[in-house]
Amino acid sequence: MLFFRNLSRMTYRNIKAVLVDLSGTIHIDDNEIPGSINALKKIRQSNLQIKFVTNTTKESKRLLHARLTKIGFDIKQEEIFTSLTAARKLIDEQKLSPLMLIDDRAKEEFLISDTSSDKLNSVLIGLAPDKFNYTQMNKAFRLLQNGAKLIAIHKARYYKTNDGLNLGPGPFVSALEYSSGCKAEVVGKPQTSFFISAIEDIDIDPSECVMIGDDVRDDVVGAMTAGMNGILVKTGKYRKGDEDYLLTGGNVGDSFAVAVDKILQDQSQT
Amino acid sequence: MSAWHKRKISGVLLDITGVLYDSGPGGGTAIPGSLEAVKKLKSSGLSLRFCSNETTVTRKTLIEKLNSVGFSLSEAELFTPVPAVCKILKERNLRPHLLVTNECLSDFSTVDQNNPNCVVIADAETNFSYHNLNKAFQLLKSLDNPVLFSLGKGKYYKSGNDLVLDVGAYMKALEYSCDLQAEVVGKPEKSFFNTALKDMGLSADECVMIGDDIVGDVGGAQNAGMRGVQVRTGKYRPEDENHSTVKADGVVDNLSQAVDLILAGQSS
Repeated sequence: MLFFRNLSRMTYRNIKAVLVDLSGTIHIDDNEIPGSINALKKIRQSNLQIKFVTNTTKESKRLLHARLTKIGFDIKQEEIFTSLTAARKLIDEQKLSPLMLIDDRAKEEFLISDTSSDKLNSVLIGLAPDKFNYTQMNKAFRLLQNGAKLIAIHKARYYKTNDGLNLGPGPFVSALEYSSGCKAEVVGKPQTSFFISAIEDIDIDPSECVMIGDDVRDDVVGAMTAGMNGILVKTGKYRKGDEDYLLTGGNVGDSFAVAVDKILQDQSQT
Repeated sequence: MSAWHKRKISGVLLDITGVLYDSGPGGGTAIPGSLEAVKKLKSSGLSLRFCSNETTVTRKTLIEKLNSVGFSLSEAELFTPVPAVCKILKERNLRPHLLVTNECLSDFSTVDQNNPNCVVIADAETNFSYHNLNKAFQLLKSLDNPVLFSLGKGKYYKSGNDLVLDVGAYMKALEYSCDLQAEVVGKPEKSFFNTALKDMGLSADECVMIGDDIVGDVGGAQNAGMRGVQVRTGKYRPEDENHSTVKADGVVDNLSQAVDLILAGQSS
């Protein structure tokens, strides 16, 4: 039996859009989290709009979309808003030429012609184990010392793979911050700007959105700080006690499917 | 209060890299005037010790390097973090996983490293790879009481013509990812300076530390009760003179100028 804990007696009657985290919320690697494909179908049959928001820095939107489609999800590429999308937007807006410490599989998101070293004016950092070597880190550091801007796709401390915990990009961002004395501009979750950018093209107020995710800080608290509603799911990286970090108004559902049922149930009440 | 060099000075502590010589590929070069300055200090009768966070080479190699460019240092005058951390490890029954340069490993040869229960990081240069940092992270995450020692916490230093990241950056990376605070051994820790003071048998207020690192050398010395003087050589950058938390007791162009000021100040 799966439960929805309505900690704050919330009703989702006025919700117009659902924002959904991907990894750990609807899938893990190449597997569906049970009930997620069907729950997504139910949202499609309702009047709710949908956006998928993710902090991935490992693969481009196209590769991520291909993976989700293969699992069996009915998702359109333009519905996915990633931290890479947000970084790309920032780079375009500020006309930056970054040194890119990002995974090669993510690079196609940045169809920026390679900049010659003397024109680099910023450092973009994502999860890129191959790039976090002494030479590249020093190159990034020296650019920052000369006034380049530091942009972090996100600042996750670590992530989980089949062989255990591994360092995320966050530690390398804080290393560069410490030595250069500059502060990174973080573009991914849990930044308010990330959540607001994700709904820019659907013209809905943040208060009419609900974010569903397995990371209490990055997904739920982040979205709620941006003025949205938030539901934490007990799948993926969720650990007992994570709900203690929730803000007033935040709720907990056992899974994405349970959260969707609750929202749709509230929607049907007049 | 009179100028830093006019008050009584009985002992002088010198930083090495960036003050005596600039490190770099091929062994490095003496900073102009420093050879003569050290000779003058030695013949002046003032106590002299060398305090360095240098850990990329063994103590023996460091002394050989310095002596090959014309200095004459002995092991007894040299204070570096490795002997200090080895002492702590033995006292606390800790067995380290080491993230240091390959050469530095031999200075730890007497320390038990089986079944490690703490991590020691020093400036590891090219050994600061994702893989090696990840191994240190995974070990810390696996311990009930994770302990991380960082030999110094410098932000950067000058190698050849370039500034490069120092151990402090990687200390921060591990602190951030493991949600812990490292124990720093070396400058700017008070206990590290105190070891050198004790060896000279002098009190802090009659000693001066001269270095190129505004935080590690100057701030650390001041915190230990000494005067801290900054040289405009090595990693020095003009903005160091307007540092947000540390104000040097004196700023000099180089070691040579500092020594001339000290000797003139003490004779008058």
